[in-house]
Amino acid sequence: MNAGFLDKLATAVGPGALLRDPAELITYESDALVHLRATPGAVVLPASAAEVQAVVRLCHEHHVPFVARGSGTGLSGGALPLPEGVLIALSRLNRILDVDIPNLRVTVEPGVTNLEITRRVAPSGCYYAPDPSSQQVCSIGGNIAENSGGAHCLKYGFTVHHVLGVEAVLPNGELIQVGGATLDPPGLDLLGVLVGSEGTLAIVTKATVRLLRRPEAVLTMLAGFPSIDAAGEAVSAIISNGIVPAAVEMMDRLTIRAAEAAVHPNFPDTDAVLIVELDGPRVEVDELFSIVERVCEQCGALTTEVARDQGQRERIWKGRKAAFAAMGRVSPSYYVQDGVVPRTKLPEVLRRIRDLERRSGLPIGNVFHAGDGNLHPLICYDESIAGQAEHAEAVAAEILQYCIDAGGAITGEHGVGADKKAYMPKMFGEHDLDAMQRLRCAFDPDGLCNPGKVFPTPRLCGEVPGPYRQHPLERAGIAERF
Amino acid sequence: MDTSALEPLDANQTASMLEDAGRRSLSVVPTGSGTKLGWTSSAGEALCLSTKRLNAPVQHFAGDLVATIPSGTTLASANAILAQAGQWLPLDPSYAAGATIGGIVAANDSGPRRHKYGSPRDLIIGVELALCDGRVARAGGRVVKNVAGYDLSRLVCGSFGSLAVITSATFKLAPLPAASRTVVAACARGADAAQLALTIASQPVTPSAVEIQAPSASLLVRFETTEQAADQMAATTRALLEQGGASTKMLFGEDEREIWNQHESSIWDSPGLVAKLVVLPTDIASSLEVLNGFGSRMEWTAIGRAALGVLLVRVNGAAADEHEVIARLHRHAAARKGTLVVLRRTPGREVPSLGDDDPNVRRVMDAVKARFDPNGVLPALP
Repeated sequence: MNAGFLDKLATAVGPGALLRDPAELITYESDALVHLRATPGAVVLPASAAEVQAVVRLCHEHHVPFVARGSGTGLSGGALPLPEGVLIALSRLNRILDVDIPNLRVTVEPGVTNLEITRRVAPSGCYYAPDPSSQQVCSIGGNIAENSGGAHCLKYGFTVHHVLGVEAVLPNGELIQVGGATLDPPGLDLLGVLVGSEGTLAIVTKATVRLLRRPEAVLTMLAGFPSIDAAGEAVSAIISNGIVPAAVEMMDRLTIRAAEAAVHPNFPDTDAVLIVELDGPRVEVDELFSIVERVCEQCGALTTEVARDQGQRERIWKGRKAAFAAMGRVSPSYYVQDGVVPRTKLPEVLRRIRDLERRSGLPIGNVFHAGDGNLHPLICYDESIAGQAEHAEAVAAEILQYCIDAGGAITGEHGVGADKKAYMPKMFGEHDLDAMQRLRCAFDPDGLCNPGKVFPTPRLCGEVPGPYRQHPLERAGIAERF
Repeated sequence: MDTSALEPLDANQTASMLEDAGRRSLSVVPTGSGTKLGWTSSAGEALCLSTKRLNAPVQHFAGDLVATIPSGTTLASANAILAQAGQWLPLDPSYAAGATIGGIVAANDSGPRRHKYGSPRDLIIGVELALCDGRVARAGGRVVKNVAGYDLSRLVCGSFGSLAVITSATFKLAPLPAASRTVVAACARGADAAQLALTIASQPVTPSAVEIQAPSASLLVRFETTEQAADQMAATTRALLEQGGASTKMLFGEDEREIWNQHESSIWDSPGLVAKLVVLPTDIASSLEVLNGFGSRMEWTAIGRAALGVLLVRVNGAAADEHEVIARLHRHAAARKGTLVVLRRTPGREVPSLGDDDPNVRRVMDAVKARFDPNGVLPALP
């Protein structure tokens, strides 16, 4: 990396906030998808939006690509750095700037963690709804980049439904304010596309999010079923009874066993467990919960347990949220896949996954958000056996194909990043990808902002084809464009 | 090409027509039922591209609570089909009876139920677009949870046809509620009604709508859920409102339908300019005071989502008064992080430019427009 450029970077953020020492750079080689690694050319730790802007301006002037990073908990390599680029770590922008309880708004810097917001507003009976499993450490900036969901997004939606406005640095270093504390900013919904753009359109330096009031009642049930199919049937019956639960989670025997070994949530020893949570006004929750109980019984639940207090509820959720990490108890290594199928196709796709498990010889654990069809197969393998890691990766890829075949998506919440860009053409046609690239070119014509992510092939933006052509009526002076 | 009106039968034909129009340097205005055509500045003489024949059957994936609806289908006819499986697309935009899906998405229009269900951009999960270069592109999909690729479906929500023609859209649906109750509260002043709306929003009840009406200083609070829950929440809410000094009644059935029809009608079926004022929910009260300041100089009505900070204001008076109201409200909003947009002009009158765009944001929007519609075939950006 050019010494003059590095000097300017050091001036922009202060010498202590520019990392070049190889030992220091190791931390930033990957996000939570650790098999994709690269050593960044340099890491900067700006402390303000103005410093982010200064860094991006320099990158733009010197034509150096840059990658933004939050807490590094991403699972698709979205924050994978570039050896020739600058990694902009936003962890020092970690202040909660404004809390407005009467209007249910909080304004934060991007490095604030998801759970910090809820912690801050909990005394007022409020919370921030998106709750990705990593919420203790993941940052709001990262949540915005990935449009994070969580177990409760079935009822409450994703990050895009909870972010009202952002301040962001464009790839040319300009600062924009899109949306804000009030709804419906005029013009195009740029906020709607910035959320979930995986850091490829701009770098968010401030965000205003909306809060929700804690529901009056929450009821959580843990039910053990003799089969995944029976549990799936219960989910269908709940939905067809007109109930939209706050969360519906399913785990299979392998992941139940793993969770038991790791955190002892006291799950039943059945082929499948279902966690169903309803929340809202007490009168409504009580009425609907009795339907859920009846439906589970009718669908052959072997055991049911209703959490009577917060402690019981936390124990059940701990078992679910620990499922990924717990796989380490039953397998030396595992590959986490993230795919989505229409909920009604779950049984069919799970049967295909079972067949694949038999054929591949690799155990596959299944934990998923059953309400919205978001699967997280965990493919177990042993790194010490030659070729097994590659085999696991191939198995994971095949599962994505099942999702596409069923009319689903290649990612429900982890993002495309560097990991899945090769699968984009399986889900989208050339014209679809081209339309998306137009948006990218409008924001980042030089291709400097997190390049090499989301899209299978980089595209040169080039010039917009042709100038505006004058309408004959304009030429005749009869009409004019506004 | 027949230049009177274009009525494509499918997405490919729509895209071909756009490409052809570009080649001939013609302007095209995509049109559904035409209920909101006046909401953006018109491009002068332009061909009308009607979506009315983009009306293939609704694809309802009832078990997934999802439906793909062609853009020319009216919301009413789509909901009649979805209702057969006890579901609906819970949008209640203005002119709901005739509004088409494409138009509702293009205008990102919503109504009182936005309080609970959100606006089209909150419910859309996929889109099919006819592009100006003759291609058809899709984004999103038919699953609720999906972060693959850029969300072009949200990009076109509220784009007023400026980037592409929406040929179909896929939405997440909701179960039809079993019962509906509306609490009507009459307050002494608009500011009281606004304050009570905030009080209700802070309570553990889940209304589907919290609407304010001014100058009548009323609140309409609707509950749509099970019968038992609707009754109980309505009772709790009445007690709260009465404690706050309002007199209340509870409506259901025909009376309830009628009061909601009147509510919408007070804006859309009455003459004058209509503007959308968006402020923080706590600034609704002071916004109503601005209107009250005009006293009886002119006729005005305001209704809106009191707990969300969205008001529709109708002003019917002399041109100068109309301008003054708009200017005052705009200043009021702008000083409080809010916005004001004129939706419906009084026929024959121009509206002064409010011009509060951030030039950097506008440049990005212009760049998006230039990438999607380089020849300016489609209407200008909103």
